[in-house]
Amino acid sequence: MIYDLIILAVYMALIMLAGLMFSKNVKNTSDYFLAARSIPWFWIMGSVWATNIGFLHGYLAHGGASYEWGLVQANFEWFQGPVGYILSGVIFISFYWRVGIFTVSEFLERRYGPHIRLIYTLAWLFIFLVTVAAELYLGGLFLKHILNIPFWPTVLVLTAVVGTYTFLGGLGAAVMVEFLQFIIMMLGTMPLLFIVLNKVGGFAGIKEVLLNQWHVSPEYLTVMPGLLHPYGPGAWIILGLCLVTTIGWCSGHQSMVQRNLGARTNYDAKFGYVMGSIPKTMGAFLYMVPMIAAPIIFAQNGIFVEKADAAYGKLILSLLPVGMLGVFLAGLVSAGLSSIGSVLNSGSTMIVKDIYERFLVKGKPDSHYFFVGRIATIGLIIASLLLVPIVTKVALIMWLEQTLLAMTLGPFMGILILGIFWRRINNAGGLAGFLGGGIFAVVLNQVIGVKVVFMISWWSFVVSTVLAIAVSLLTKKPPAEKVDGLTWESDFKSNVGVVTGQRAENNGIKVTSVPLRKKVPVYLSIRLWATIILVTQIVLLMFFG
Amino acid sequence: MKRKYRLITAALILFIAGTVFAQEKFIDVREDMAKNLTQVKKLAGESKWEEAKAALLTAKDIWNNEVKTLILEDQNKEKRFSEYFNRMNEIETNLENVSVPLKGEDVVEIEKSVNAAIWSISHHPAGFNVPSREYTVGDWIFGLSIGFGTIILAIFFGLYLRRSFYKRYAKAGVKIERRGK
Repeated sequence: MIYDLIILAVYMALIMLAGLMFSKNVKNTSDYFLAARSIPWFWIMGSVWATNIGFLHGYLAHGGASYEWGLVQANFEWFQGPVGYILSGVIFISFYWRVGIFTVSEFLERRYGPHIRLIYTLAWLFIFLVTVAAELYLGGLFLKHILNIPFWPTVLVLTAVVGTYTFLGGLGAAVMVEFLQFIIMMLGTMPLLFIVLNKVGGFAGIKEVLLNQWHVSPEYLTVMPGLLHPYGPGAWIILGLCLVTTIGWCSGHQSMVQRNLGARTNYDAKFGYVMGSIPKTMGAFLYMVPMIAAPIIFAQNGIFVEKADAAYGKLILSLLPVGMLGVFLAGLVSAGLSSIGSVLNSGSTMIVKDIYERFLVKGKPDSHYFFVGRIATIGLIIASLLLVPIVTKVALIMWLEQTLLAMTLGPFMGILILGIFWRRINNAGGLAGFLGGGIFAVVLNQVIGVKVVFMISWWSFVVSTVLAIAVSLLTKKPPAEKVDGLTWESDFKSNVGVVTGQRAENNGIKVTSVPLRKKVPVYLSIRLWATIILVTQIVLLMFFG
Repeated sequence: MKRKYRLITAALILFIAGTVFAQEKFIDVREDMAKNLTQVKKLAGESKWEEAKAALLTAKDIWNNEVKTLILEDQNKEKRFSEYFNRMNEIETNLENVSVPLKGEDVVEIEKSVNAAIWSISHHPAGFNVPSREYTVGDWIFGLSIGFGTIILAIFFGLYLRRSFYKRYAKAGVKIERRGK
């Protein structure tokens, strides 16, 4: 065990060192929040996945949920990858990039006014705090079990490592470290799949034991569940998860979007996201399929599992030999650190750009906001640490976060789609739709008692859309000059460069390259890769459905 | 004023610590039981039979005096305790099953029975018990209506956008600026 601990300690020291090295070039808010718009597509590919996958989204919480509910959990990877990443990349991210914004909230303000920006920012900051607290809790709990080290000192060390390079280096350091972490995550954690499948006799072996010997519900091995499943029937997965939550997550989560906003060109932003869906799809094999086999391994080897969130740690501890465990832990800690780092960076961006600079202190020099950005990072770290004891109360952490996301992303998607594609929608409609959809989601969950999160996200999306349309039609049409440059039509091909250039310069962003690359080699074609990925998705769903 | 805030903070800390402690206790006692059962396997493998029997007795004591008590006290308060309440008979049978091969000093059977006992006090996936139900005709109609409805809506919306775009930019006098010009 001591060797594994040494490998992990060396890795963490190297990551911190790399982060510090990358932070040398950070001089202003554009560097700090958008990495001076210089990120190429392959960094975005690795970075969005490393951001997306952490202790919470991925290995520990999604791994725990896979143990709890079975293969249905793979929908998070198989829908979010191809549908979420590709559609968001090609439509929404590309659009944001052309508009030249720092944050998604900024777009909402331009389209719908300041109130919506403030509400949206506060909702996301709350989700961010819960996310970081959950990541720290899961990471601390996991390392406590695996390495037999105390919980709180572990949490504080994790916080110190990630906090240091995020505090100093901003988005640039976070993205570069995340790319390294992406490689370590892939190489370090992949062996578990092969070891597990070898132990249980492949997927056929899992089926044989679970269905024929233990007689468990066939729903455990189904991607599209039936009517009585707590995830809701397949229809809610397609409507709520696939069409609302995944696209909303990929196009509304500031941490995900920010990597793309820092792209050097529009093409890099789109292609990076499309390619990011490949590791995302593979994620199901890294931490979901092994967890479906986990009950068999636990039962056969007499391994005690106290709760689902601890199952992943128990599995690797029981299977991986010394040395390999250390490398695996490095990969896993990478996942956690990259997610925490990106959320801290995005949270500080939102605090500075969407609250401090916009509503509290205007017109100060760039160095002032740069300094406040760093203070905001520290503030977020402290607030998240204070939330950790509360998060420990939750039985399955993933559900807490998914419920909060469903309440935010449903209404967000409603007004985002209308805002981009319908010129007629106005401020009153947007605000009514967002607030109405949000309140409806809370009532559905807290008063009526609906626990199927995808049902909440879908219906809050529908209510938000209908309300926004109705209120807009009953009130004044927005003036053309206010809408120009903020809808899909106005940015359509011909005037993209001008709009981007003007808006980016207004935000103090130096546009370093043309927004659209005219010709790319066939093997770097977005259409080609998007098609390959979507076909793979269909094959996977047919095989496991 | 400051005193008031301090009191509120202290109350919050006590509340959080109390609930966290109660949850941890149920985990800790089961973990303790599992450790003793694992010791039974290990000691039996080393042919330390008396010590193995003592470890089994300790595991049974923990079950009777701590784990079982917590389950019976809290199964009405929290849903997660009902999982173990429903498995109480199975757990007790599994614990008794360890005694038989232990008396006969059968290492292979001890391993199997101990593994079964540990698994019965572990958390089992909730997805194992999800009822399976076929879709009714009504469900299919509902699902397909929403599915096809969305596709039709998307097509019409796309056509509307296309029409709206050409209508806007085909107008005379609308100058479309291009980069570099």
